[in-house]
Amino acid sequence: MDLRRKVAAAWAFLFGDSARAFGTLSLVLVACLAVVPAKDHFREWSRYQTRYLRLIRQRGDAATLQRRFQPGLQQTWLPELGVVDRCTTCHVAMKETSLADVSTQPFRPHPAIPHSLNEFGCVMCHRGQGAATTVEEAHSSTKAWEQPVLPARYFEASCGQCHQNSLTGTPQLNLGRKLLARYGCVSCHALRTAGAARMMPTNEPPPLTHVARKTTREWIYAWLKNPQAYSVSATMPDFKLSDADARDISAFLIDQSTPYQQPDASKSSSAAADAQEGASVYGESFCASCHAVQNAAGLMVGGDVGPELTRIGSKVKPEWLGTWLREPKLYAPHTAMPRYRFSEKQLGLLAGFLEAKTDSDLLANVHLDAATKEQIAHGKALVNERGCASCHELNGIKKPDNFAPDLSVAGSRSLAKIVFAPGVPHTLPDYLAAKIRQPSAFGSALKMPQYNLTPVQVDALVTGLLAQTERAEAIPAVLRVAGTPVLKYDPAGKAGKLMQDMQCFSCHAINGRGGDMAPDLTWEGSAVQRAWLLTFLKNPNTLRPALIRRMPRFNLTDAEAQTLTDYILTAYQTPAFDADSLDSASFTAEDRERGRQLFYSKYACQSCHIVDAQNDKGYVGPTLTEIGAKGTPAWTFHYLKNPQLLRPGNIEPNQSMSDADARALTAFLMAQKKAPAQEAAKK
Amino acid sequence: MAKMLDTYVNDLRESRLWRSVFRSGTGATNLHRALAVQQNIFLHLFSVKMRRAALNFSVTWYLGTLSLATFLILVATGIPLMLYYHPSVPQAYADMKDLQFVVSAGVFLRNLHRWSAHAMVLLVFAHMFKVFYRGAYRPPREFNWVIGVVLLIITLFLSYTGYLLPWDQLAYWAITVGSNIMSAVPALGKKIRFLMLGGNTVNANALLRFYVLHCVILPLAAILFIGIHFWRIRKDGGLYTGEAKSHE
Repeated sequence: MDLRRKVAAAWAFLFGDSARAFGTLSLVLVACLAVVPAKDHFREWSRYQTRYLRLIRQRGDAATLQRRFQPGLQQTWLPELGVVDRCTTCHVAMKETSLADVSTQPFRPHPAIPHSLNEFGCVMCHRGQGAATTVEEAHSSTKAWEQPVLPARYFEASCGQCHQNSLTGTPQLNLGRKLLARYGCVSCHALRTAGAARMMPTNEPPPLTHVARKTTREWIYAWLKNPQAYSVSATMPDFKLSDADARDISAFLIDQSTPYQQPDASKSSSAAADAQEGASVYGESFCASCHAVQNAAGLMVGGDVGPELTRIGSKVKPEWLGTWLREPKLYAPHTAMPRYRFSEKQLGLLAGFLEAKTDSDLLANVHLDAATKEQIAHGKALVNERGCASCHELNGIKKPDNFAPDLSVAGSRSLAKIVFAPGVPHTLPDYLAAKIRQPSAFGSALKMPQYNLTPVQVDALVTGLLAQTERAEAIPAVLRVAGTPVLKYDPAGKAGKLMQDMQCFSCHAINGRGGDMAPDLTWEGSAVQRAWLLTFLKNPNTLRPALIRRMPRFNLTDAEAQTLTDYILTAYQTPAFDADSLDSASFTAEDRERGRQLFYSKYACQSCHIVDAQNDKGYVGPTLTEIGAKGTPAWTFHYLKNPQLLRPGNIEPNQSMSDADARALTAFLMAQKKAPAQEAAKK
Repeated sequence: MAKMLDTYVNDLRESRLWRSVFRSGTGATNLHRALAVQQNIFLHLFSVKMRRAALNFSVTWYLGTLSLATFLILVATGIPLMLYYHPSVPQAYADMKDLQFVVSAGVFLRNLHRWSAHAMVLLVFAHMFKVFYRGAYRPPREFNWVIGVVLLIITLFLSYTGYLLPWDQLAYWAITVGSNIMSAVPALGKKIRFLMLGGNTVNANALLRFYVLHCVILPLAAILFIGIHFWRIRKDGGLYTGEAKSHE
């Protein structure tokens, strides 16, 4: 009773008449509105700042940290990059290196990186939502922001937005980009890095215009069904063809093949079946520098420039092999295979050796009837549909343009536009990885073939693709570090033709074009002596016994070697110094003795190099027992002064040698050659 | 206490300052009351006298007044929002993020604006249904009904133009779909769409156009028509209180 009366009294007090009701409601409204400034005051980030202050209070350098701490909202604003990052509002200790032992986020200081944090902000590399000031919004994919923070395992992708060259710190990105070109991804997909030309494939898929001369329909069938059964290292993917489809495609490929100019059959030497000698021709020619063979333990031995040769005998026809070894460019004008100028005997031995590399299981179960017209027509339709011509040259089928989606901004793809396969987490890296791992999971109608990749390769490819962002396109050109341009350097004249013939550029780089398997020859003319070069070209031996890959012998004639030597000595001179500026004749015995001391004591060169074959044990650098016959004094002197100037990226340490030291060492090294009498006696 | 307050208020109302603003002066006579309404620029739109019945909740459910109240809230929140917003493609969405994360009470402002906008559309519809079902649109109020229809259309356009301004996916596609609907108009469709978007796709020009419409043209039109609407209530004999009473 009493309670009811009290309530009634209270009600009357608050809402008794309209004036009271109005006043009460107004007060309630004001109280409600007070929530707004309160919420403003107790924001998530202010809690973190309070926690940070509590954290530093117990530390020795509390006063310094306290002074450097700036309360309130923090922001990195870089208008030209479109960066508004408020991450440092919570990540307050980014630059406090003294907090390196702190492991709790958001207070961990940033590890040392080559860039200034103020210059690039956070989201350029980390992604996520820079403008956000709450944990959830800043880091994850939310309703109003798709791009979450980039997972650490793909982090190198961020470097790739500006750096189109390969960096030593980003092996995964470098591998990814290499694989994109190597596995022919960019044959079907267009992929442009910002401000650069389209990425070109490096796998050099063979032309199929004369394929019937090279191999049989049965082999093509077996290859199409499972490329890896023939060659474990094949970059050709599995197109998951049915038996009938593989039968029809093989029928079409044989049907479209045309003859090409092959030398007389009479000239082709019969394969001599001496395995021992054949193997030694294979070894002497350093075929393994480019080609691999699987050994008994299943390991690949050899290079990956050319195709694997483990089962080559089951594939190629003997008459084709003979022609190929003699004149590779007849069959494939753009091949990287050099013309070796083999003697008839060598040719026979090598061909015999290769033909013996067969695998009886490979074609055991392949039985194909003669192809019908319908099968050939169906095969052609399939070849068009699967985009075979994107990689291989074919008669009567043009290379399709934009066969597959453009991947130039694959790293910024909107999740809203992606159809995820069941079970794939809804993030871009997961989508890319799943798509690369098993394209057929995204629908059987997809044309993308199945690759046989390791998890490391998949991660690398995802990293390579994640580097292709819209942000990368928008970055000011001044920040972009261009990739190594593919230069179209082509030496002229007779020597140029010789160099093309021997495919020097497959291993050596000159003026920015060529491979990195062998030394850069851009300034070789300044580096070596004429007599040495002439002998070397005729009979290349190596300066580095520890290496498996060596320069093969190309059986050059005297005239050819002379032409090449003249050209190299004339054309490949460095502008950095005058080749005649230092003369061996000016060195005294005293210089040489001083040089010897410097070599063995001050600079301890013997840790990597060998001068005295009996006592020295340095196998890292080239052996220097005959350097006096090879190098020029001027080159040696300047090379000692600054190795990286003459050979960029060289691992030879720059010792900041004085001129006097370098000169003495040069004197010592120039004396390292066989005595002339010995030389003569050998001849 | 109450008496003391009364004296203070009375003294205030007698003061020279007060009188210079409100010239009608104090007094409980009908004349004073009439003058108080008539001499005030805002109140003079209304009639000096009205039936007590018209003030009953059941007559109007206060739907017109509530519509006006939401409109006033929208103006009051819209102006501060304009201080933080740039109608430009690179900046518009970033401004949303600023409002969300760094502007004091930014989220509150945006939410208040948004919910009031929803409420206004709802209230205006409810107001029209009430007027329609009670028959208040009939002569002599038929012209005011037409003004009301115009105000409904302005309300809807305000709502629609405001939808684009956050420049997010929802906004972009809503306006794309909306403008495509517009292009279905026979003969003139494509032209209307071009005029509306300032181009053929939803882009910078469309954003600027929608911004000007939303913040200048449509609010001014709304204020004008609201003025006419209120003035016509008075001219048409006050609020419609019912069949029987209006014949008295």
